[in-house]
Amino acid sequence: MTTSTGAKSAAETTDPGNWTNRLRGRIEGLVPPGEALPDRQPIYVASWIYVFGVLTLSSLAVVILSGCVLAVGGVQWWHVSSLGHYVNSVHLWSVELFFGFMVIHLWGKFWMAAWRGKRAMTWVSGVLLFGISIGTSFTGFLSQTNFSAQWIAGEGKDGINSTGAGAFFNVLNPGQMLLWHVVLLPLVVVLIVLIHIIQVRRHGVVPPLDADLEG
Amino acid sequence: MMKSLSIVAEGPGRYIHWGVIQISVANLVIIVAMIILFVLALIVPFPSGHDEETDQERRQK
Repeated sequence: MTTSTGAKSAAETTDPGNWTNRLRGRIEGLVPPGEALPDRQPIYVASWIYVFGVLTLSSLAVVILSGCVLAVGGVQWWHVSSLGHYVNSVHLWSVELFFGFMVIHLWGKFWMAAWRGKRAMTWVSGVLLFGISIGTSFTGFLSQTNFSAQWIAGEGKDGINSTGAGAFFNVLNPGQMLLWHVVLLPLVVVLIVLIHIIQVRRHGVVPPLDADLEG
Repeated sequence: MMKSLSIVAEGPGRYIHWGVIQISVANLVIIVAMIILFVLALIVPFPSGHDEETDQERRQK
């Protein structure tokens, strides 16, 4: 690492051999200028059907925040504390809303063929997110530390093991399932959410079929 | 109230059987509610604010 001032530093900032410069250029080029946090949207976005993506994101924020509070109390906190029970319920119902809003978002985007206009990766990342979210909620149900979790694990083991995934994803191991639920899968979900949002901001919100501006 | 709610949540649940289709009443109610919400989102007018412009118009500026 070098430090400098004046004209030399300006030259350094454009040096393509510097990985920091290359990374900065990549980050700056992720979305067109001004599109990262736009304050205006196309007129066709003024419809309730375009709200469900943001509602899904808002639910995810509540899911993560309530999950963080549950992590402080511990996995069995909700069995012995009314506050823990309340936070657990907030976590559960925000997940229910997350999936409900996400599925309505999916219906809306499917019926407007949202993969048009070079938006295939936006669609694909959304599909991936849907699948991984189901896996994340599955590990959540396995982490309830009650008979329901035991029953789900008992019913699910043969199906999971028949795929070979049981070698590193053992549904009968509540400790492993809890760590998948609170560390690994949330990281993947948040990463794909970021990719999905970048794709949306990069290509713009898809117009309705009868208002396709791209021809 | 809490006790009655917990009975609802922990009961065996009521199921509807229609040929090969079998679905719990709770799941059916949620699916119908989501479809109603979806239809409402399409037909209920969105409160419009200040003058909007199309994406194309904006990018041409």
